[in-house]
Amino acid sequence: MSSKLYSIIAKVMKVPIDSITDQSTPQSIPNWTSFVGYVLLNELETQFNVKFTIDEVIDVKNISDIKRHLKNHGVNSNE
Amino acid sequence: MESEKSLSYYFNEAESLNSTNFKNKIKIALLSSFTINGLSEVLKVKCTKKNIDSKIYVGGYNQYNQEIINNDSELYAFKPDITFLLIDIRNMLGNLFFFPYSISDTERKIFVNQKLSEIMNLITSYQKNSSSKLIISNFNIPTNSPFGIAESQDQFGFHEMIQTFNLKLQENLLHLDSVYLYDFDQFVRKFGENNIFNYRNFFFGDVKIELNCLPYLGNEFFSYIIAHLGLSKKCIVLDLDNTLWGGIIGEDGFDGIHLGLTPPGNVFHEFQSHLKSLSDRGIILAINSKNNFNDAIRVIREHPHMVLKENDFACMIINWENKVDNMKAISNQLNIGLDSIVFFDDDPVNREFMRKNLPEVTTPELSSDSSELSKTLLEMNEFSTFKITDDDLQRSKTYSEQKKRIELEKTTTNLDDFLNSLDIKLIIKRATSFTIPRISQLTLKTNQFNLTTKRYQEKKIKEFVKSSDMLVGCVQVEDKFGDNGITGVYVINKDNPKEWELDTFLLSCRVMGREIEKGIMSHIINIAKKNNVERIKAKYVPTEKNQPIEKFLKSCNFEKIDDYWIFQLNKSFKNPYFLKLTIE
Repeated sequence: MSSKLYSIIAKVMKVPIDSITDQSTPQSIPNWTSFVGYVLLNELETQFNVKFTIDEVIDVKNISDIKRHLKNHGVNSNE
Repeated sequence: MESEKSLSYYFNEAESLNSTNFKNKIKIALLSSFTINGLSEVLKVKCTKKNIDSKIYVGGYNQYNQEIINNDSELYAFKPDITFLLIDIRNMLGNLFFFPYSISDTERKIFVNQKLSEIMNLITSYQKNSSSKLIISNFNIPTNSPFGIAESQDQFGFHEMIQTFNLKLQENLLHLDSVYLYDFDQFVRKFGENNIFNYRNFFFGDVKIELNCLPYLGNEFFSYIIAHLGLSKKCIVLDLDNTLWGGIIGEDGFDGIHLGLTPPGNVFHEFQSHLKSLSDRGIILAINSKNNFNDAIRVIREHPHMVLKENDFACMIINWENKVDNMKAISNQLNIGLDSIVFFDDDPVNREFMRKNLPEVTTPELSSDSSELSKTLLEMNEFSTFKITDDDLQRSKTYSEQKKRIELEKTTTNLDDFLNSLDIKLIIKRATSFTIPRISQLTLKTNQFNLTTKRYQEKKIKEFVKSSDMLVGCVQVEDKFGDNGITGVYVINKDNPKEWELDTFLLSCRVMGREIEKGIMSHIINIAKKNNVERIKAKYVPTEKNQPIEKFLKSCNFEKIDDYWIFQLNKSFKNPYFLKLTIE
C-alpha cells in the first residue's frame, strides 16, 4: 500500500500521511518547493537505493510519476 | 561520510525549533554564486544545539556582487556578525572553464591577476560597509582538463591557474583584518569531486554541492562561529587505559600494554602525537583516570613510546574516586570552566556518567574500534580559533610552570611570603599590532575574572586605540618560574574627563590568586590621578562565573552607588609590595 513511499513523502514534505494520494502534486502539497523536491529525491534515492535520470526528475508532476519511475528501477512501491 | 546527519534530519529539526533566548547570539549571512539551500537549516540547528541564538540571512541566488556593491542592500540592513561567501570556479572562469587554452599562458596570468583584483575590490567594498567578519572560499581545482594527461606539460596550465589564484588570494588576505580564507578546495578533496558534484543536480537546479555533503560544509562553517563567539574548548581531559595506551596497566602490566610503533600500539602512539601537537598550539591536557597512581605514573615517566610526557599534562588526577568529582577538581585546579573541557574516555559507561552529571563537559562518542581515535580527535571543530597567538604557543610551558608554583605554595605557609618569593613582575603594555590579537582573544575567552564580559574582535580594539576617548592596555606577567605572557587587559572610557569608566577589566584565570589585579588597578589609578580625574567607575555585569570581580572591587575600596562601583581618587591605593611594576 505504498506505505514506505508515502511515509518518506510525508516526512520530507511535513504533511500527514493520509493527506497524500497518487494524484498529489507540488501545487497540492504546500511544502513541495523545488528545493524540497531535491531533498525528497535524495531521500528516495537513499532509501530505495536507486538513481533517477535527469529525464525522470524533470518528468515528475505528481506522486504516481514517482511510482512509475521507481518501477523502472525495479522498485514496486505499491507493495 | 558516516558521522554527519542527513540534510532531511536538519530540515525536520529546523522546522521544530522553538524560539530561544540564549546568551550567545550570532547573525550569519550566507552569500554564494550557486544554490546553497539547506545550509541555513544546518547552521541553525547546529547553533541551537550549542545554545547559540542564530539569525541567518541567505543572499539572493548569485546576487553576491550586487549585494556587496550596493550599500543599501538587504545584506547590510541585516548587519551580520559573520559572512560566508562561496564563489564557484565556473563563475570565476566563465568560458575559460571549458577553453582555458584559447588564450596564451601570459594572458592566463593576466586573467588571474584581474580576477584577484576584482575579488579584492569586492572585499574592500564589503569592509567599508560592514563590520562583519568575512569568510571567503577559494576555488576547487577541477580534476578534468582539456589537455588530459598533457595538462602538466604546459606553462601556467588550467590547474596551475587556479592553484596560483588560490595562493595569491591567501597571501592577500593575510594582510587584512577580519577576512579569512575558507579552503573550499580542501573540502572538495576531503570528500572527492565525484561525491560533491553531481551533474544531474547541477543541470537541473544549479546544485553544486550534493545535498548529503551540505551538513559537512555546515559543520566546517560552524567552526568559524565557535571561534567568533569565543566558545572554543581550552582543555582535553584524558582517560589512560585503552585511551592513551592499549590495555589495562593494572592487569596487563608495564610490558603488557600496547603502545609503540607497531600494531596495535601504533594506534595510541599516533593519538598521543596528535594530542601533543594540539598541546603545542595551546590546548591544555590533563588526566582523569581510575588507576593506581604508581602504576600509571611509571608508564608516563618511563615507557619508551609515551609521546606525552609528565610535563605535557597541566594536571594529573589518578585515583579511585569517581570521574565526575575528579573532573570538578581538574576544573578548579586549572581555573577553567567545565564548559571549556573535552573528555576522552574509551568506556561508554564513564562517558554516559560524565554526560549525565556534567553536561557542560563535551564528551565525544568514541568508536569501539580504537583505530578511529585519531580521526575523532582531528574531526572535532571545538578547538577552532582564528589565530594562534604567541601565548597559545607558550601555554603548555606556562601550565607546567604553574605546577611548580603550586608545589612551592604547598611548602610555604604564609601567602604573602609565597607571593613575595615568586618575584612577580608586571609589564604594562600598550595595545599595538603585536598585542591586539591577544587582547581580543582574552576578551573573547575570559569568563571568571571579567568585569563586563564584553567580547571584542580585533577590529573593535583597533577602533578603541584610534579613539581619543578610549584607553586600552594589557599586562604581561613574569615570575621566577617563567613568563605567563599577556594575561590582563583593561579598556577605559575617558569620555568624561572627570570620571573614567572601566569598560573592560579582566585577568586570565592562569594568573589569578596573585593579586595581579591590584597591580593593574594601581597602575590605572596612577594614570587617572596624573590626568586629574576625580573618580573611576565600574559597572559590574554579573554572570554565572564572574563573582570574583565583586569581591575584588570591595577589596579595592570601590563603593557601590546605584548601578556602579565608584573609586574616589582622593583615596590612596597601594600596589601590593611583592609586585614589581614596569611600564613599556
